[in-house]
Amino acid sequence: MSPDALSGLSQASSFLPLISTCIGVFVGLVVGMIPGMTISTGIIIVLPVTFVLPADIAIALLLGLYVGGMTGGSFSAVLLNIPGTPSASATAMDGFTMAAKGEAGRALGIAITASFIGGLFSFLCLFFIAPLLADVALEFRTEDMFSLVFFGLTIICSFAAKSLVKGLLSAALGLALVTIGQDPVMGTSRFTFGEANLMAGVHFLTAMIGLFAIPQLVDNLRASNAGKQAQAKLTSILPKVSDLKAIRLPVCIGSFTGSFLGILPGAGGPIAAFISYDYARKASKKPEQFGEGCAEGVAAPESANNAVTGGALIPMMTLGIPGDPVTAILIGALTIHGLAPGPLLFLERGDFAYGLIWSFFWANIFNFIIAILGLRILVKLLATPRALLMPTVAVLCVIGSYALRNNFFDVYVMLFFGFVGLAMRWLDMPVVPMLLALVLGRSLEENLRVALTSSKGDISIFFTSPISLTFLCLAALSIYWSLRSTRNKVDPYQKEPG
Amino acid sequence: MKTLNTVMAGAVAFGLVATAAPAKAFPNGPIEFTIPFGAGGGADIEGRLLAKEMAKVLGVPLAPVNKPGGGGAITYTYITNSKPDGHVLGWNSTSVLTTTNLGNTTFDYDAMDHIGRVEYQPQPFVVRADAKWNSFKEFVAACKAAPGKLKIANSGTGSSTHTAAIMLMNAAGCDVIHLPKGIKGRNKSVLNGEAHAMIAPLTGAVRLTKAKKLKILLMPTATRSPLFPDVPTAKELGYDVELDLFRGLSVPKGTPNDVKIKLADAMTKAAKSDAFMALAKKKGFTVAPMGHKEFSAFLAAEDAKVKKIFKSAGLYRSKKPK
Repeated sequence: MSPDALSGLSQASSFLPLISTCIGVFVGLVVGMIPGMTISTGIIIVLPVTFVLPADIAIALLLGLYVGGMTGGSFSAVLLNIPGTPSASATAMDGFTMAAKGEAGRALGIAITASFIGGLFSFLCLFFIAPLLADVALEFRTEDMFSLVFFGLTIICSFAAKSLVKGLLSAALGLALVTIGQDPVMGTSRFTFGEANLMAGVHFLTAMIGLFAIPQLVDNLRASNAGKQAQAKLTSILPKVSDLKAIRLPVCIGSFTGSFLGILPGAGGPIAAFISYDYARKASKKPEQFGEGCAEGVAAPESANNAVTGGALIPMMTLGIPGDPVTAILIGALTIHGLAPGPLLFLERGDFAYGLIWSFFWANIFNFIIAILGLRILVKLLATPRALLMPTVAVLCVIGSYALRNNFFDVYVMLFFGFVGLAMRWLDMPVVPMLLALVLGRSLEENLRVALTSSKGDISIFFTSPISLTFLCLAALSIYWSLRSTRNKVDPYQKEPG
Repeated sequence: MKTLNTVMAGAVAFGLVATAAPAKAFPNGPIEFTIPFGAGGGADIEGRLLAKEMAKVLGVPLAPVNKPGGGGAITYTYITNSKPDGHVLGWNSTSVLTTTNLGNTTFDYDAMDHIGRVEYQPQPFVVRADAKWNSFKEFVAACKAAPGKLKIANSGTGSSTHTAAIMLMNAAGCDVIHLPKGIKGRNKSVLNGEAHAMIAPLTGAVRLTKAKKLKILLMPTATRSPLFPDVPTAKELGYDVELDLFRGLSVPKGTPNDVKIKLADAMTKAAKSDAFMALAKKKGFTVAPMGHKEFSAFLAAEDAKVKKIFKSAGLYRSKKPK
């Protein structure tokens, strides 16, 4: 191992980062489990704390939450037939059937084991691929970065499955909002109307808190809080040897598809889970058992959605391009600590970059241990009264948006985006395209204009660079593929992904 | 849930402390130390340490608060709008001259009172270690052979690195393309060959220069840097260019004199503390405290330089009421 990898290991394995990974996993399991709360909500909850913590500890906390949340989603999918997170939707198909047959413990044991293996596999991908990709990405020039960001933005199409017009509109609004603040090239202020606080622009984390959390709070006000209670008794959680043998193939399929789809921007958990469920059924000797409560049907999607996490961290760390809202938030959290993700992170702060990778490793280990040992207690938390939970989230929305830049103006901005989020929900408009536009819009504009400064206004610069041309072709493919697949597929993004 | 409660309790307590400051002899409560740039950067690391050392001298806590945005404009606007009782400090930098003259604020640097300078650092002219130019003269020759072709990266349009780059290129008579690559992209663009050279604060180039990935050809500063004693200054090569990145302290206009004297005293003692001197040695900046009078004259001279360059480059948009 390189010296950076070793110092990263010791950094991630010291006491405080380990403890905060544990806390993160626990919070992740809880928010993932509770229907109506997603990993994004969980991140909003811990966000204010991460501003004050040192970077390595903060990141360990967030990674634990990311991994725990992916697993937690399967608990309520199995026990209540309500996926805690969209990524767990596929798990509900066989998981809940198993629980109905009185095998809830077995189903959860398999889900946790499959998550563990999927997560570890994606850790290996992250560990070996990310440093290589960072070396390559160092060669990317401004024009290449523009095309890469553009490719990243084409994700929007796959989030706009229900209505392309509404999805694109949401993204266009996001891009328009990005223009508020200092012009990235000339340094002059735009659309600030003399308000100095607008000079710094809209921070996408502020916008995200408003867009996601406020509508969710309003939903919870409206909804009757009776909720279904998990009746199933949990016996024999640890999976049997025969089960482990049976899930070998589906777990492999899930781990590979999850890690691969995680690397591609935009695919994310839900799609990976459904695709690997589909593949596992096709590869199975007894495909007719799928949907009737078979172990393979739980193992494949669960390994896939956890494998997505490590995969999605690869473009996040090496290119600074987020694959889903959670990695977008991680970028924000890193940037707050002055550690901008990108190819230079490995060159200048190699110890930190590897520390992050190792924290991800520990997150997977703790996730397995906490989930197996604490399952019975965690399941009881499903009954936590909303009356306690929701006001806490509301308070944290305010603290989080203030603490981001220590500016109370941002709290008003957050509330504004809360109304925008409600309006968009009312109009049935997806919010994820807007969020991605807010994350990527600025670097899209900056790279476009700096590249044109560099070429003195000649746009052929984007087509003569081979790297740039490749990304533009990929972008065209991505648009084509998502347009074609949305035409005849069920929409896995009925809810916000996470 | 415990952690959440602690955080909320802390936030409430902080609010109480911040509002309940009775009018007694200065300092009679915590002092807010605003940093115009984000956490983790040079301004943040240096500012936080100075605040810690100043707290030891003043006997009250100094709370560092980052208010990034607008190249410093948000912090400076906040300072000018604050109560002039010495309990709000601004950790200024050359940005107090650049962002104001770019027109990001409605005032010029003189809308605030300035306590003094703490430190400065040169802004070297840097090329890749394997570049074919081994001296600035060779770079200028290459530039004159191909006017309008060579690219020089900086931290952003109108930043102090950009200003220094324009000054240097004007003095050398070079026609180049200035690339506003930002703090993140600047080093990368020189390393991958997109930009032929860059101007960077010394602290931003030390690591990669010592790792033999970059080389410094010249520094537009008064005296040679002790970190790189072989690198000539611009004056030595016959170019009358000098623009350092300085940092110091500002307070709202109208702060009483005795308060300013106390702050200046604490600032100088903190700057000369062992901890701060050690950081300076490690990062590559020079601790050189300057009192109020000296600093005011210095600011006036530097402001004139920046105004002249901005006007020549079409960047001058100061919104100071005439």
